[in-house]
Amino acid sequence: MGAKSLFKCFLPVAFTIALSALSALAMTDSPIKIGVNVPLTGFAASDGESALNGAKLAVDQINKAGGVDGRKLELVVYDDQASPKESVAIATKLIEKDKVAVGVSCSYSGATRAAAGVYQAAKIPYLSAYAIHPDITRAGDYVFRTSFVGEVQGRAGAKLVGDLLKKNRAVLITLNNDFGISLAAGFKEKAGEYGVTIVNEYTYSIKDRQFGPIVAKVKADKPDVIYATGYFFTAGPLVTQLRAAGVDATIIGQEGFDTQTFIDIAGTAAEGVIITTSLGRDSKSQETQDFIAQYEMMFNHKTDMVAASGHTAVKVAADAIKRAGTTDSAAVRDAIAATNLAASTGTISFNSLGEIIKDVQVQVVKDGQFHDFAVISDAKLLAPPTE
Amino acid sequence: MLFVNLCMQGLLQGGIYALIAIGLTLVYGLLRILHVAHAGLYTLGGYIAVIVTNTTGSFSLGLMTSMLAVGLVGMVIYRLIYQPILDKPPFVALIASIGLFIALEEIYRIIFGPYGITFAAVPLQGAVNFAGTYLRECEIAAVLLATLLIAALTLFTKHSRIGIAWRATVTDPEMSQSFGVDVVKVRYLNFFIGSAMAAGAGSMVALMNNLVEPTMGSVPSYKALAIIVLGGLGNVRGTLIAALVIGIAETFGTIYLGDYLDRDSIAFAFLILVLMVKPTGLFAKG
Repeated sequence: MGAKSLFKCFLPVAFTIALSALSALAMTDSPIKIGVNVPLTGFAASDGESALNGAKLAVDQINKAGGVDGRKLELVVYDDQASPKESVAIATKLIEKDKVAVGVSCSYSGATRAAAGVYQAAKIPYLSAYAIHPDITRAGDYVFRTSFVGEVQGRAGAKLVGDLLKKNRAVLITLNNDFGISLAAGFKEKAGEYGVTIVNEYTYSIKDRQFGPIVAKVKADKPDVIYATGYFFTAGPLVTQLRAAGVDATIIGQEGFDTQTFIDIAGTAAEGVIITTSLGRDSKSQETQDFIAQYEMMFNHKTDMVAASGHTAVKVAADAIKRAGTTDSAAVRDAIAATNLAASTGTISFNSLGEIIKDVQVQVVKDGQFHDFAVISDAKLLAPPTE
Repeated sequence: MLFVNLCMQGLLQGGIYALIAIGLTLVYGLLRILHVAHAGLYTLGGYIAVIVTNTTGSFSLGLMTSMLAVGLVGMVIYRLIYQPILDKPPFVALIASIGLFIALEEIYRIIFGPYGITFAAVPLQGAVNFAGTYLRECEIAAVLLATLLIAALTLFTKHSRIGIAWRATVTDPEMSQSFGVDVVKVRYLNFFIGSAMAAGAGSMVALMNNLVEPTMGSVPSYKALAIIVLGGLGNVRGTLIAALVIGIAETFGTIYLGDYLDRDSIAFAFLILVLMVKPTGLFAKG
């Protein structure tokens, strides 16, 4: 046998070895997939875009810093239109076909709650970025939430009104959905403790933009503080109309107000509005400052709380995979449960139910921008539900 | 004073509903089509008003451009969407209209972004106080515009040649055609006027909310249907009255029934009540 035929004989073997080595290399280099369900069309598309942008920025930051254990992070994104019908199918697809390591919901409560059950059944960790319904984390031990449940933030609102602002005649203007109702419930639960009397409560639907009747009645109620729940697209017109009618009570909002678009809509009427939220604009934290600056650079749009929540959820997932040293779902779940991370929304950890533990940021609108007003860090007041 | 304030808010809301619903009832009266996409034109009116105002600095120019442009778009929609399917059963046009409405919302989102757009410097925001009541300047302007447009429409249909031909066509298309009325011209006119009025409403609502978002038309899309049914389908006078009644019912309902009923359901609760008593609506035609 000549050298040539020896070579010929070994060539396929060598080729096979090389190929398998290559594929092994490719295995370790293949990106870690994070599945995202997010409303990119339909009524929730504005929040969806913000949340997804936040998530994209997180991936960008992580990959630029070398990825997770040398592997790149990759988002697999599907539009769920904030609909449970879509999100269940998407969850199944992300788990079975895309084989994602972790799921992140950048969607609303209805869609998130429905998908949570699918992730729990498949034992794949699922992080809800900003959906508020208490039942989401009750789906099981693989489901976590990186934002406040409504009641916690509502309780912080009561402390803000009674303890920090020393106001005592409150009117509630409540958005009639799970978000508004759970916030109002938290506020009402603690209002008495802080000496706040609730003079009246009005509810409105998410589609309302004209608040003439409520404003007329609130004017007659003469409150000294208004606890108004809603999103920027309801809150902007509401605040404008309250101020135009000459209602000068302090207006307290929450994270739904937390976007520059709110200030664009309400203009000068937004001045002095105080909100409880997750994003401290003047925060000294490097992570938060980087997030605010890089978000504006990357998307040419001022950032908001929803974007910070999407960002935080991806950072939590990446951090957990890194600490676990594997994408094995049980190990990642345990790592998420043990999270202690400085994220753009503050330093966070989780309780036994998978609910977030962190401070509430209080922001005030001053000269057309959100600025720090106070931080509420009363652990007992802010304790999320454990069951 | 609360009572007077609530009445004024109700009339304001009713005036806006009337501007939207009249276009819808006109289309129904003439073609027997439930033109759901009409609310998409209302949204488009808001977008054009904001964009032209922000570019030129003049809201009046924005309003006029918006009404004119949307009127033309209304004619194009008739030509491209409805005319080819006029001989099909009514549900075909209804499905086309719903599809068009959803498509319009998504087109706005793709072009103008999901966050909605606002005026750079929003005009007419000052409040006018009068004996304990108050209205914003933009709200007064909206009421004036609604009154002006509806009065102009009435005069036009009563006294101009084409207006009379239009009414004749609504009453009996075949007969008026045999008398030499150009039915096709009447249909274009119908879509132009109806769409322009919706754009007027969209522009004023943009001014009052300082926000135009892709889904701005979703509530008017179905509420205007309730109003035209209540007003007796195809009846302009009935639609106007129904719009004002719904506006006032909603305003008082928000305050006194708000704990039990969503504002949007008040219109429908009222509609069901009326239809139980008078199945043809409040003001059915002959």
